[in-house]
Amino acid sequence: MTRHTGSRLRPLVATFVSAVFFLPLYLVLTNVFKPGHKIIDAPAALPLPPTLDSIRQVLTRPDHLFWYGLINSIEVTAISITILTVLSAMCGHYLARSEGLGAKVMLVVMLAGLMIPPAVIIAPITEVLRSVGLMTSVAGLVLVNVGYYVPFGVFVFAGFVKTIPIEIEQAAAIDGARRLRIFWQVVFPLLRPASASVLIFLGVWIWNDFLNPLIILGPAEGTTVTVGIYRAIGEHQQDYGAVFALMFLATLPILVFYLAFQKHFVKGLTAGASKG
Amino acid sequence: MTATHTRTSAGGRRGRQRPTAHPPRHGRGRSARRLGHLAHFGLFGLPSLALYACIVLIPIGISVYYSLTNRNPFNPPTQWVGARNYQNLATDPDFWKVLTNTIVITIFVTAASNVIGLAIAVLLDRRGWLYNALRGVFFTPVVLSGVVVSVIWQAILTDDGLLNSTLRGLGISDPPGWLSDPDLALYTLSWIVTWQMAGFCVVVYLAGLQGVPHELYEAAAMDGAGPVARFRSVTWPLLAPSVTINTVMLLISTFKIYDQVQVITNGGPGDGTTSTIAFDVIQTGLVGNRIGVSSAIAVVMLVFVAIVSTVVLQLLQRREVKA
Repeated sequence: MTRHTGSRLRPLVATFVSAVFFLPLYLVLTNVFKPGHKIIDAPAALPLPPTLDSIRQVLTRPDHLFWYGLINSIEVTAISITILTVLSAMCGHYLARSEGLGAKVMLVVMLAGLMIPPAVIIAPITEVLRSVGLMTSVAGLVLVNVGYYVPFGVFVFAGFVKTIPIEIEQAAAIDGARRLRIFWQVVFPLLRPASASVLIFLGVWIWNDFLNPLIILGPAEGTTVTVGIYRAIGEHQQDYGAVFALMFLATLPILVFYLAFQKHFVKGLTAGASKG
Repeated sequence: MTATHTRTSAGGRRGRQRPTAHPPRHGRGRSARRLGHLAHFGLFGLPSLALYACIVLIPIGISVYYSLTNRNPFNPPTQWVGARNYQNLATDPDFWKVLTNTIVITIFVTAASNVIGLAIAVLLDRRGWLYNALRGVFFTPVVLSGVVVSVIWQAILTDDGLLNSTLRGLGISDPPGWLSDPDLALYTLSWIVTWQMAGFCVVVYLAGLQGVPHELYEAAAMDGAGPVARFRSVTWPLLAPSVTINTVMLLISTFKIYDQVQVITNGGPGDGTTSTIAFDVIQTGLVGNRIGVSSAIAVVMLVFVAIVSTVVLQLLQRREVKA
């Protein structure tokens, strides 16, 4: 096609393709606000008039599945990403600024961790956690998250520290500042873009994680919201309204978090995608 | 994951040696410098390394050890069996089926997400609010959890789901059992994962496309190159780094696929028609308690991931250099 027809057709084609792609998400959104019988009769129709019955049903479940899950998810995600950012920023700094063979080997060993499937290590992990009494606890899940995701953080920070002139640190060292103070007061503030990438990527991954919380938290200590969805579909498979409402509410916090940091997400994702 | 990897290796390739962060003060010798370095490691490097070792390295070691035993926590004692678990796997048709399933899903998702992602990126590679909004549409599934995506598609694709009731309404009396037909379920599952991952490729390809200098298109157009020729000779070679990122990222993340299998098909229909390696490891080990056998499967999986991602990364980076 010529440039001219292309420019007129492109918005239409793009919108149509996107609409088809979006259809599954539309089906969830529209049915969250519909009464049960209308979901079966007219699944694709707009929710007119909209109802909050399904949302209310999820929020007032007698077993508090959503609220317990939400509290667990927030706790696990917030604590994990805070520790991960601090630890991996420091470790990334160490690896970026060290030249010894030991540091090089350590970098390779840590980067190898990026491709280790969780299924390979989950069984031994449960035994390690059980032996220290952290199985079925939020602390245990946080520990696993930190150990498993620290390579990703180290990776991002090590790459970013290299772009920061070392002279800044040397100047502070000459002024007599101690190593830790230099790092926290001089270097860490300069790492903000890397910290944002790490926070948003790991925040989304940990919030959405299924296998680790399913196995480590267990049913006794409650679940995260993501595992909660899985447990809910086991109970009432046919009640799409309730399931969709639960998914909607479980996704909302992380979606808001993602939208707030979106710029860094895409930037982190696409670093290196273009030859610069 | 891989995005940053490429960045780091690019930084490494630059190869500029930087002086150490904390030069020794005058009048202090090598031992002081070594002490300073040790303190730097102990304070900055060690905590991360220690946690990583406890959660990843040591469990891998335990997995390797268990794979050489008949461990079953409910059937002690644990005994050394040497390579027997591996030998059994080699002749176990179920294991080969699981391995084949995983390879089929991985290749399907990697290829389809790349093709679809590139096509959509080319389509959306324009400025303006409309294209910005549409990019957001494609990226949303990437931020959703595998569980959410699974439940959505299950509601659509089960036998009495939204798709088949629509098809019946259109007069098709016997629509396919997307998730209940043993010949179809594996491909349906692959499509669901593709739908989720395509947006990732869209974003990476869009960034790649925006990095292509405009003058190159103009030069090619002046040489009389049509849209297809321009794409082949200008766009495609310059997208090589994006292809690398997408391919490696998708290979690694699809090979370990677990959530979608657990939620949507539970390995079925029938006998393991959609079971993947990760799913099999969990079923055999944590559900079936045959830790010895599941550890052997896990070790095979680990070796497979390591070999495939190393080889693919090498191949694709060689292509990048040529381009």
